[in-house]
Amino acid sequence: MTDFAGQFEKILPEVEKPGRYSGGEWNVPDMTSPARGDMCFCFPDLYEIGMSNLGVQILYETINNAEGFRAERCFAPALDLAAKLREEHIPLLSIETKKPIAEFTVVGFSIGFELLYTNVLYMMDLAGIPFRSADRREQDPIVIAGGPCSVNPSPFAPFFDAVVCGEGEFVDLELLRRVTKAREEGKRRAEILKDIADIEGVYVPSIKDRKVTKAVVRDFENAPYISRPLVPNIESVHDRATLELYRGCASGCRFCQAGFWYRPIRERSADRCRDLALDMLKSTGFGELSLCSLSTSDYTGLEELEQKLRPYCRERGITMALPSLRISSFKPDMAKDSRKSSLTFAPEAGTQRLRNVINKNVSEEEIDKIAVAFEAGYDSIKLYFMMGLPTETDEDIAGIAEICKRLKKLYWEKRGRRGLNISVSCAVFIPKPCTPFQWEKQIDLDEMKRRQLYLRGLLKEIKGVSFSWHGAETSVLEAALARGDERLADVIEDAYRAGACFDGWSEHFKWDVWQAAFEGRGLTFEQFTRERGIDEDLPWDFIDMGVDKKYFLKERERAYEGVVTRSCREGCNGCGALKMGRCTIL
Amino acid sequence: MIALKYSKCEEARFISHIDLLRHISRILLRADIPVRRSNGFNPHALVYFSPPLCLGATSFAEYLTIDTPMAADETMQKFNAAAQKGIRAVKAYQLDKNPNLQARIVAADYIYPYPFRDIDFSHTVISYTKKGEEVSEDASAKILGIQNADGALCVRLATGGVNLRPDRLLKTLEEEYGESASVTDIVKVRQFALEDGEYADVDRLLDKLALLP
Repeated sequence: MTDFAGQFEKILPEVEKPGRYSGGEWNVPDMTSPARGDMCFCFPDLYEIGMSNLGVQILYETINNAEGFRAERCFAPALDLAAKLREEHIPLLSIETKKPIAEFTVVGFSIGFELLYTNVLYMMDLAGIPFRSADRREQDPIVIAGGPCSVNPSPFAPFFDAVVCGEGEFVDLELLRRVTKAREEGKRRAEILKDIADIEGVYVPSIKDRKVTKAVVRDFENAPYISRPLVPNIESVHDRATLELYRGCASGCRFCQAGFWYRPIRERSADRCRDLALDMLKSTGFGELSLCSLSTSDYTGLEELEQKLRPYCRERGITMALPSLRISSFKPDMAKDSRKSSLTFAPEAGTQRLRNVINKNVSEEEIDKIAVAFEAGYDSIKLYFMMGLPTETDEDIAGIAEICKRLKKLYWEKRGRRGLNISVSCAVFIPKPCTPFQWEKQIDLDEMKRRQLYLRGLLKEIKGVSFSWHGAETSVLEAALARGDERLADVIEDAYRAGACFDGWSEHFKWDVWQAAFEGRGLTFEQFTRERGIDEDLPWDFIDMGVDKKYFLKERERAYEGVVTRSCREGCNGCGALKMGRCTIL
Repeated sequence: MIALKYSKCEEARFISHIDLLRHISRILLRADIPVRRSNGFNPHALVYFSPPLCLGATSFAEYLTIDTPMAADETMQKFNAAAQKGIRAVKAYQLDKNPNLQARIVAADYIYPYPFRDIDFSHTVISYTKKGEEVSEDASAKILGIQNADGALCVRLATGGVNLRPDRLLKTLEEEYGESASVTDIVKVRQFALEDGEYADVDRLLDKLALLP
């Protein structure tokens, strides 16, 4: 084994932000004792993005707490470092011990969204790991994937020996144990894959004709969490302690994948949350604590928890942040101790009719309640919308501008004519698997651009409103990959070889490369963004997600009728996820 | 008010000054060292730094002033228990007010990875890239002297308001010695303030200002 650490240190001063790669973060466990088996978590994006990923940190700590096992990290190097690594013939190394990625027992990629697929190949390429599971040699590591994209692993399945579908807390360690043991027994790859295929949640693409059941943490209250989060060397996108209050969501917004994928709903008690929060704050020194979930104001113990944490935080000047608030639940004292910079709300659609279609239960009267925030001193509001939602018309888009005008009027009444900033951010709707909209068509590129221009024109006429939107082309690609099948693996590989990389970064996104990659394989985007028939087999049907397909279909019909479905907190709607564990809010 | 002299080496060399400010606040929170906070809209901990260190270089002479009622020894001990790899306080001074080192420090001694040679720096033009553009600058006035440090080359450079980044002298030295070196080989060993027209080592200055325990 060559020691690359010295060589690597020499090139570090020549790259941008060397703190991304140097390691030595606070709370990195001792790595000097030998390990029976080790796993490198590869995050296919830059350090500052990946260090904010909760999932990776939970799994990292879980494995490092297990006797005899070790977890390390690696993030996608920026292009400047990648060029240097190639020039100096240094393979991709782990951050902690600077060990070549290809020498780990297991290499695990966390894939958060579709535009990271080429970066997975970019990292494998730098690590010298063959792209295809079928091409790997006995000495290559077992390469697995996990994260939110495991909802539909089909497009990237050929690149992995196994995919962890669902929540990895108990899966990754068990998988690492079994692979380690099998290696110690001298088993061959094919046998090793057989050994791990029966762990719940594990999908082994080379073993066909199998149903896979999503992995779910049943006892969320006592599930492992991060007591010693790593403190990033350089500023990361969420540079704070993050506490996950509960998993799942009761709202049932029909476009939202996470809301259905993370069911059943499992809350942690306020006492457990307080203990976890204090552990994290004490062990990191973070000046901000984020109480995080898919809809934080719905957390049963929110007020109790805030009261329990307030004295500790106030004394030390630690601010508490509450992301993902529902408009209707905003109370002025909720954000009392946080800085009054800006509030973010997501009405998602401009008219009541369309909000009913998507089951975003926000009424006009509730939007009016933003006035309470104005009274509490807020001058800046961020609003999130989507365009291209099923049944959307220009009237719905005009409704977005109407909401802005209405908020301006409310602000005038409370605070006077000057000073309000509204920033409207509008994404393009992407039909995702594991939602009632998984059969929907995505509007085509020209139509996206027309609607964006239309909205831009309307918002331009309102003073104090700024508008940002997602690239139409990236939205088409994301939609195609999200509902893609195994044919797309060739396309992804071709696109990577032709220079596609960091597709989620607009400055790196190469639309022409992707177009050529689809064409080259005789495919079109439209084949993947079109409406799917309800009798069609969907590429992700082989995964048991808990929520029944029938339930999704029923919800889809209700969407077309404009009928809303109540929050699960008001009573069980019978989605089917209960069979995977207790829904703690019932 | 406590001033700490600390070193910044190993992995911590790659933490930029702006990130360092954040790391120090976190160390203080982890260490549970009570720090007085500013008033106003965005209260922040009252902590004061010496001028920024060049990214990648090692230093054995960085300074940090903390507005805390805690005693010097206890502050240093708690600080070190909570500091990440590469950051370590070596001396603590109890003061009655902020010595304002950021403004007072005017020079620093750097050891370069070259054997001592009596180099004439009186006509030194350095060139470097700044915001993508090649810049040339006569740096002679910012090179304040050289010394033999146990056989190694030690150069005193202007630091603070008038500043010469130590890595920008590397090209000149490479030409002189015919051998290349990296910023990671440069070590800052002392910092100076001006006292009665003389360079006074900041350690001595703090010794003088320090209250008796």
